Amino acid sequence: MIHRKGLDICFLGFFILSVGCVSLSEKTLVPGSPDDLPGCYAVFPAGPWESVYKLEATIRGGGSFSLLGVTKGEPSERRLQSLLLTPEGFILFDAELRDGEMAVRKAMAPFDSPAFAGGLMEDVSLLFLPPKDQPTGWEKKTEGTMICNWRGPDDSHTEVTGSMESGWRILRRDKYREVIKEVILKGPFVNGLASRVELHAFEPASYRLRMTLVQSSP
Amino acid sequence: MKKFLFLSVLVTMGFLFAAPALSQDWTSFKEASRNIRSVKADFLQKRTLQILTKPLLSEGKLFFYTPDSLRWEYLSPLRSVMLQKGNNIQVYNFSEGKWKPEMIQAVEARRMVLAEISRWFQGRFDESKAFKHTYSPGPPARIILVPGEGINRFIQRIEIVLSVRPGVIDRVEIEESGGSRTFIEFRNVVINSSISSEVFEKP
Repeated sequence: MIHRKGLDICFLGFFILSVGCVSLSEKTLVPGSPDDLPGCYAVFPAGPWESVYKLEATIRGGGSFSLLGVTKGEPSERRLQSLLLTPEGFILFDAELRDGEMAVRKAMAPFDSPAFAGGLMEDVSLLFLPPKDQPTGWEKKTEGTMICNWRGPDDSHTEVTGSMESGWRILRRDKYREVIKEVILKGPFVNGLASRVELHAFEPASYRLRMTLVQSSP
Repeated sequence: MKKFLFLSVLVTMGFLFAAPALSQDWTSFKEASRNIRSVKADFLQKRTLQILTKPLLSEGKLFFYTPDSLRWEYLSPLRSVMLQKGNNIQVYNFSEGKWKPEMIQAVEARRMVLAEISRWFQGRFDESKAFKHTYSPGPPARIILVPGEGINRFIQRIEIVLSVRPGVIDRVEIEESGGSRTFIEFRNVVINSSISSEVFEKP
């Protein structure tokens, strides 16, 4: 059973890069068939993996930068290590997230604030790690699209929608059910990693991140 | 960021220093370095990181015109360019179909680094406060640069491996603190050709 909570959010004027209003309605789901449950995790790479993405970030006010993002994941340990590199390969940022605990190994200006480190690793986690607990509700539509909802310990919500064929969308909502981050993942998927990713963050900081897969290996 | 800038320029200048490879003589080497007016080259950069099983590959182009014009451009995987002409230093990234100025230009840091390197270019290695150098006749001939206090937090050692072709180096090897390494191989090297001044002014 699906109940739709009408929630249209107009980001125009708030998020300068958006054009028009973005409608991001929320679906309230109940647990579906156990057979469909693995589909909720299909968007997240399953085994150990590593990736290099080209990152193009645009922040509120029009500033932008291009960097390389290197990430290594070990899903069974809920472990992620992420580096930000200049085009020349110099490491600006290096941090590891292990079962929710973050350790920053290197952070150079302007990426040296705790808020940046926390935000970046939260983004990486949103992209590559499923929420820790089982979804609170899920549904597989007839055409194969999955819709899955998780509730976080801080009463945040994560919603995953899509399929490997059509691509995926991940929404993160705060406790007020307002969308604070939206991720679009597009195929082809290589070693379980999307070739193209677009992340929009709305709160607390506003920015857009475009990612293009450069190389990956399992 | 400062270190990266330093590396880029250092590699470029190391390229120039490679001119007298056949002389195997330090005095001749310094003398020959004065005869280079310009350098054009392609490069392939292999960056090994502990986090990656495969090296990260980058390709680009280098243009240099004495005494202080430089274009160091990466074509892939990220397209970016650092331009220097005299005291004017600019960095651009190619994004969403157009060149955009890098948010953090770090011009002062770059200027300081370039001034240091400029002394080397003129064969005034002894005046360098950042690196101590040694010349190894080989073969292959090498210039080994060891950083002083401060920079050695980032770079442990740089080796410029010279080609047998005068004016050309085969590669630069940069060993960083923490175990990462960078190899830059130069290809299609052209010495003392004409280069339009726009190359150093516009991305």
